[in-house]
Amino acid sequence: MADVDDHQALIVDSPAALEEVLTGHPDYDVQLESLNQWQLSWRRFKRHRMALFGASLFFTMVAVGILGPIVMPFNKNALVPLDQVVNNGRPPMIYPYFHPFGETQQLQYDVFTLVVNGIGLSLLISVGATVISTIIGTIVGSLSGYIGGWLDTILMRIVDALLALPLIYLILIASEFLGSGNWFTVMLIFALLGWLQTSRLVRSVMLSLREADYVDAARVVGVGRMRIIFRHLLPNAMSPIIVVSTLSVAGFIITEAFVSFLGFGVDPSTPTLGNILSGAQEAIGAGNWWWAVFPGLAIVVIVLGINFMGDGLQDALDPRAKV
Amino acid sequence: MEETAQTTMSDNQPARSAPAAAAVAPAVGKPLIEARDVKTYYPIYGGILRRRVGSVYAVDGVSLTINRGQTFGLVGESGCGKTTLGRTILRLEKATAGSVTMDGQDMLAMRGPALKRMRRRMQLIFQDPYGSLNPRMPISDIIGEGLLAQADADNGWRTRTIRDKRVGDYLEAVGLRRDYARRYPHEFSGGQRQRIGIARALALAPDFVVCDEPVSALDVSIQSQILNLLSDLRSEFNLTYLFIAHNLSVVQYFCDRIGVMYLGKLVEVATTDALYEKPLHPYSVALLSAIPVPDPRVRKKRLVLRGDVPSPANPPSGCRFHTRCWLREKLGNPEQCSTIDPPLRDMGGGQMAACHFAEQVTKQAAQEVASTQSVIEAATELPD
Repeated sequence: MADVDDHQALIVDSPAALEEVLTGHPDYDVQLESLNQWQLSWRRFKRHRMALFGASLFFTMVAVGILGPIVMPFNKNALVPLDQVVNNGRPPMIYPYFHPFGETQQLQYDVFTLVVNGIGLSLLISVGATVISTIIGTIVGSLSGYIGGWLDTILMRIVDALLALPLIYLILIASEFLGSGNWFTVMLIFALLGWLQTSRLVRSVMLSLREADYVDAARVVGVGRMRIIFRHLLPNAMSPIIVVSTLSVAGFIITEAFVSFLGFGVDPSTPTLGNILSGAQEAIGAGNWWWAVFPGLAIVVIVLGINFMGDGLQDALDPRAKV
Repeated sequence: MEETAQTTMSDNQPARSAPAAAAVAPAVGKPLIEARDVKTYYPIYGGILRRRVGSVYAVDGVSLTINRGQTFGLVGESGCGKTTLGRTILRLEKATAGSVTMDGQDMLAMRGPALKRMRRRMQLIFQDPYGSLNPRMPISDIIGEGLLAQADADNGWRTRTIRDKRVGDYLEAVGLRRDYARRYPHEFSGGQRQRIGIARALALAPDFVVCDEPVSALDVSIQSQILNLLSDLRSEFNLTYLFIAHNLSVVQYFCDRIGVMYLGKLVEVATTDALYEKPLHPYSVALLSAIPVPDPRVRKKRLVLRGDVPSPANPPSGCRFHTRCWLREKLGNPEQCSTIDPPLRDMGGGQMAACHFAEQVTKQAAQEVASTQSVIEAATELPD
């Protein structure tokens, strides 16, 4: 039991007694830290080394992609003056002229400028496509999974049908009708194909979450469908959605490179990572390896960074994991 | 502390003018919930065309009456439809047929706003204290959600401060501290979470609460705490419980009347005393013989049922229990057991049993059968 004496401090010798004291003085608890699930996840993420490493790689590339085009914008008419091309443009050339990644053959572009601008545009396309596809996929998947019935059947058959279309042909047709080579068009096409996987994922998560007891608890007090989706289901479905959309940024970077390499992507005169690689095809045979290696490295660094980060997010967002 | 909680709460309950008076003399007697021939079937789809090929008869024609202030216990094996019946009454599952009334109002016919208003009056306490609280929500939102959903011009629950005050009141009513409202579910133990679930159910001041095995997921030491809490709240708020359980000792302690379910049907309804004194259905007898005696020196002969519960998708003909019935065997397999489905018959004293030979269900008969069961047979049937 707790005893209060004029000269003595409070003696608390059992949990029950402590509870009793605290009940009488609820203010003791005011300073207690109470973390929600997101704060706990952030704490776990911060302790995940690979995730931090991946995140720093990725966000460095994002910074390069944002600042690079501002500091050294690409101008397709501005070639490197011939007197600066030393040793056939072989890198590294830091001084007296700053061309650290060397220069391209034929039209003498600075590879560093190309890569920096390529990172910016490629990230813009893939992040933009990811945002759009995640939003569409989440909406479709939520409706399909929670409301179910005929709506589910219709939406999922549409998804099945769209999944059957090959990406390359779709891009080919779209560039025919929507005007070829605009990065925005490419982004939209990626987004319109990317939401299919997301919607399936969200649907499956919703199907399992809607059976949860707390959803029944909400239904039994008369909470509406939309509020259940937004307040109960989506917050709990966020973890897999975040992980998948993070990884899909990497997927879109690769797809952009692949599509542009084949010549169906963004206009060849615009520097995306894929376009730069595509231009370097013949130059590699002539010994100009730096034209291809540096944009390739950029892709590797971005994708690797995202994958490490996604891995860490998966662990950090798992609510069953210990802090 | 309890007194203040009670008075502040009665302020917020204009509908029930004198809860304190009601608590002194619970108005037992008038029926609150009346279920008539409730059926809940789940479709089974099969074949390449995904057509309906059959049904799971989860609840198949259950009628029961729960009087105001009473606690009605529902017992039976897993899969016998106890939970489905509770959820059907609460309109969480769609009833296939039958009617459920509360204070004479047909609950199964209600739609839209009327149903939403009715939801205030009936609540659910869950079995699993871990799955029933949304991990992403603080306790204030979990308990306050019902208030927000049911907010209208009269109660002012749309205002956050009024809601939070009421959340605090009910946290105290279930024995937790007010300031727990700011915390998240993962910060609590199983027993505390169950208290939070109870506070959520009571925050809307319901008349009728379905307790779906509220203590089976808890430690034994916590079980009694929660049961005492439920018992206190019952008198404090004049609640009517439908108490679903498979722990027969808990039911005996807690319930006024008990319904025994088997394969979607009620096979016996009786007051607790009558059922434990003199069960009148062979299944009830077998169920009661499975209660462990907390004394290791007592060698008790259990009445062991043969085989598993038949599939509710394809229930046996006639009496559903006839495939496992010890009495039928003893009587030499009378034909009507497998052809005629016995209705619930009034056996006097408010006890009803659905057995053609309920008069012959006696302790002696059961003991005779139990003593003839071989030890090996009993041992092989044990794991359950």
